[in-house]
Amino acid sequence: MVTTNPFAELTVLLPPFAMQAYVVLMVFAVAIGTLFDIRHKRSAEYFLRARAKSKEAATRRLNGSDTFTLFAKFMLIDVASAGEFCNPMRRISHVLMFYGFLLYLVTTLVLVFGYMTPGTQAPAAWPVLWNIGALMVMVGGYWFFFFIRVDVAKERQSPFRLKRADLFIVSLLASVTLALVWEIVQFAGYPTATRIVFGIYILFTTLLFVGVPWSKFAHMFYKPAAAFQKRMEQANGASDLPSPTGRYEGR
Amino acid sequence: MPTFVYMTRCDGCGQCVDICPSDIMHIDRVYRRAYNIEPNFCWECYSCVKACPQHAIDVRGYADFAPLNHKVTVLRDEAKGTVSWKIRYRDGRVKEFTFPIRTTPWGSIKPPTDYRAPDAAALDSPMLAHEPEALMIDTLPSLPPLAAAPG
Repeated sequence: MVTTNPFAELTVLLPPFAMQAYVVLMVFAVAIGTLFDIRHKRSAEYFLRARAKSKEAATRRLNGSDTFTLFAKFMLIDVASAGEFCNPMRRISHVLMFYGFLLYLVTTLVLVFGYMTPGTQAPAAWPVLWNIGALMVMVGGYWFFFFIRVDVAKERQSPFRLKRADLFIVSLLASVTLALVWEIVQFAGYPTATRIVFGIYILFTTLLFVGVPWSKFAHMFYKPAAAFQKRMEQANGASDLPSPTGRYEGR
Repeated sequence: MPTFVYMTRCDGCGQCVDICPSDIMHIDRVYRRAYNIEPNFCWECYSCVKACPQHAIDVRGYADFAPLNHKVTVLRDEAKGTVSWKIRYRDGRVKEFTFPIRTTPWGSIKPPTDYRAPDAAALDSPMLAHEPEALMIDTLPSLPPLAAAPG
């Protein structure tokens, strides 16, 4: 089951072009949603203003080598290993979701655009990676949803008390979970159930990508920018944080 | 000087919610970021300010003490055992202070669980639990008994 392209079976229901067009539409939805989000929240304006203030307050000029070192640290610590999180559990959960989602996304693109025609069979590695990606998102995501989410872990709220802030995690988890359920039902040979589950899977996937202006999906674009800016401020002396002298007052 | 949260810096880890002795640091229901729900009830202990790993909690000064547009930030360094403060006034002056987190070595104070559990008879004692041992003194000073009123 996990070695077969789950999207290939869709050709009896939909032409390959329809699935490919859907993927392209979702890419546009994310791009437009992110731009709308930036404009609506004025986050780009805020970011540029903060950057100008930081430049003014800088006490040290950074050269090319400094900037490169900062960028390397930013990529390795802040982006690749979610270094922003102080809670190690949250960091592990985020890393699982981050790499799982990337794997799921890339393999979906490869399977939908490369191996949808009846004559071409996808190498087993791609569907296996698609399943691993979805499972990583589910492990990290459900762990976060039921145990780490701040209102659940700190405010002792029920994990099922959902607010707009949960739109991203709920639609992401529903999308990948239904993807795997759809794959199982499809290979078990239940055509009606397959169509129903596929319909719900597409519904939540659409919600995930079209809901960008109302969810925190866009954080994957602006969070890295803010993390790099923070590193620049720490290095050029513009940071508001104290610089401990090692000597105590009054001694 | 009550505290407030920069929502753009807060990552919603909830450490301030855990540490606030007044239970006024809560998580916003829409944005899932921390905020001070009732600044009037803030004890101004700054536990949240020092505990915040993202340095997202700032202090709103009283106008007579620190005029508007000032900025107070704090950096807690457990490795060095210091708490450093930086105050930037609106006229551009900057003051920095560094204090020790504590004046006794780490681990030198016994936690309450290391003390013998008090028995029921301790309810009749005027002393608090684990006194005077926990205060590292032999006896607590006490007032002399009141003299009997004349007549």
